Amino acid sequence: LVLEDPDFIVLHGLALRRRSDIEGLEQTTGLAREVIEQALDRARKANLVALARRLYLLTADGDAALGLVYPQRFAESRGDRRLAAACERFESLNREFKALITDWQVRPLGVAKLPNDHSDAEYDDRILQRLCTLHDRAEEILSVLSSSLPLVARHVDRLRAALERAEGGEPEWVSGVRCDSYHAVWFELHEDLLRLLGKSREEDR
Amino acid sequence: LRRQTAFLDEGIASDPELVGGKAVSLARMRSLGLRVPPAFVVTAEACRAYFRNGRLDTALRSEIERAISRLEEETERRFGGAKRPLLVSVRSGAAVSMPGMMDTVLDLGMNPRVEAALEREGGGRRFAAETHARFRELFRRIVLKRPDAPLPDDPIEQLLLAVIAVFESSRSRRARAYRKRHDLPDDLPTAVTVQAMVFGNLDGHSGTGVLFTRNPATGEAKPFGEFLACAQGEDVVSGTRTPEPIERLAEALPDVYAELLAAGRILEEAEQDVQDIEFTVERGTLWLLQARSAKRSADAAIRIAVELANEGKIAREDAIRRVTSEQVRAVQRPRLRDEARRSALLLTRGEAASPGVGAGVAVEDCDETESRSAAGERIVLVRPTTSPQDLHGMIAAEAIVTEVGGTTSHAAIVSRSLHKPCVVGCGEGTIAALVGRSVTVDGSHGEVFDGLLTVETFRTDSHRWLAQLDAWAGGRLLHQLDE
Repeated sequence: LVLEDPDFIVLHGLALRRRSDIEGLEQTTGLAREVIEQALDRARKANLVALARRLYLLTADGDAALGLVYPQRFAESRGDRRLAAACERFESLNREFKALITDWQVRPLGVAKLPNDHSDAEYDDRILQRLCTLHDRAEEILSVLSSSLPLVARHVDRLRAALERAEGGEPEWVSGVRCDSYHAVWFELHEDLLRLLGKSREEDR
Repeated sequence: LRRQTAFLDEGIASDPELVGGKAVSLARMRSLGLRVPPAFVVTAEACRAYFRNGRLDTALRSEIERAISRLEEETERRFGGAKRPLLVSVRSGAAVSMPGMMDTVLDLGMNPRVEAALEREGGGRRFAAETHARFRELFRRIVLKRPDAPLPDDPIEQLLLAVIAVFESSRSRRARAYRKRHDLPDDLPTAVTVQAMVFGNLDGHSGTGVLFTRNPATGEAKPFGEFLACAQGEDVVSGTRTPEPIERLAEALPDVYAELLAAGRILEEAEQDVQDIEFTVERGTLWLLQARSAKRSADAAIRIAVELANEGKIAREDAIRRVTSEQVRAVQRPRLRDEARRSALLLTRGEAASPGVGAGVAVEDCDETESRSAAGERIVLVRPTTSPQDLHGMIAAEAIVTEVGGTTSHAAIVSRSLHKPCVVGCGEGTIAALVGRSVTVDGSHGEVFDGLLTVETFRTDSHRWLAQLDAWAGGRLLHQLDE
């Protein structure tokens, strides 16, 4: 089985989102609605994709098919030292990012730590400033990756959009799970890099 | 014509539009007779003139220089002086706190000559060098915005550059985006507060800290705070050193501690609310740097409101108004009964990553969690770690437990976003023993217990302050939530 574009991109996007409606796949892949629909139709006929409660998801076959495509399609990228170095830098930035999101969600109050209710503009602002700085560094790293990996530029646009919403006073766009928040896109991006480069996720302690 | 510079004692305490919220707070403290480092404000009016002219005009420059002269007199120090040099902090202050404004520059007025003078004055070589290094780092990052830019030696030039940087920051993309979204004027100017530096890192009789006039976590009417001897506030913020309980100050410098508590009482009385006070002790002298209404937990908010009313400091109506429905809801979140906790079998323990209690059957697979939960079962999701692919399982679960990962792990972050109890980092191999069992997860304490434990749902008689407040409100606080 050979997965060509746009089918590969659609299935890969679905793998990143795990379950998604068409709108979600539009967000992730940047492809037009009808292109996505046609690709999903073909994939359903080949039993690579299933539809459950109005959400698409990969079948075991679909997952296996993708797993065969990555090493071929990204053989060159996987051997690229510049890319590997950029990924390493991203991993280290990722640790900083997670600490930042934790500070965003939990604020120290005396000796206790409490959920951040976003009532202290100054506290939130300090963290948003850090997020802006971190975003600039991420863009720098990702610019190296975007020439070789198809969705990276798209992720960057989405990160920027989320950052702007957050800066504009909508705190849920930092780490909310029900919108294309900065954290949600960042995790898709991270997952993307890991899949394409054939690495596994590591939780740091 | 409104003034372009103003000192704290020049009737600015009621004019946040002109001088910014922080300067108003300093002026209020000063008017209460509390010791605040001398300061002046380059006002929002000056900022407006700067925007109009595209530069700092000569009149404003000389006004700033005159203000510095007065600061020199009040502190008996010289800006850029080779003897007793004056250093200042420069911070932005708009009427509304908004994102994108300039960070505070400390130790401005520094150059090699001043460094030598500080050393001679008795601070020692290390103190002088550290102060200079801190200034270089802050000034390059915040004002010059280049890590390798040459620093101007002239203190007045440093000050004017910093003032311009504050003015410009109110026109930053972020500040503008924020104002647009909040329907604030696009050209909202900002003021600049210039304040004499005081040093908590001079000797053993110096230090820095924070005092809450009541405990911000529990609301108990007892002072609460932190103190770090021989340190500056940034040492605490940056996490390089860990502060000690405020009692340390009581032991080391009892007079300073007594003065601090007295200041806390005065401020609480004047502001009619719990205060969060930043202070520095310089060679045994207490200086107050900032005071504001303290942030507090939901429990504390309710207890404090009731007790302030009982003490006659605020009206009962005010007490009711000060508590939000979100806070009322938060204190009613289920908790584990103490008896239940004591007699329960602890299965595993990890880090408390997201507060609350949840119970159900432990399931490892996310799809299974989703389908069984949809069928009406209560499920606790237990995973080695979680990733974005597990989101649907996390949404369906009552609580989440992981083997690996800390408070910054994916599971922790997403659980907090979902307001689900979560315990992380229980150790590799721990979930195998949980799967299939009924368990209770206490995300506030990081514990996982055997069985479905009795959870204490809220009863008014278990929270006397909320019950009191609700009685004052004629029952409408709790009633409102039932709807």
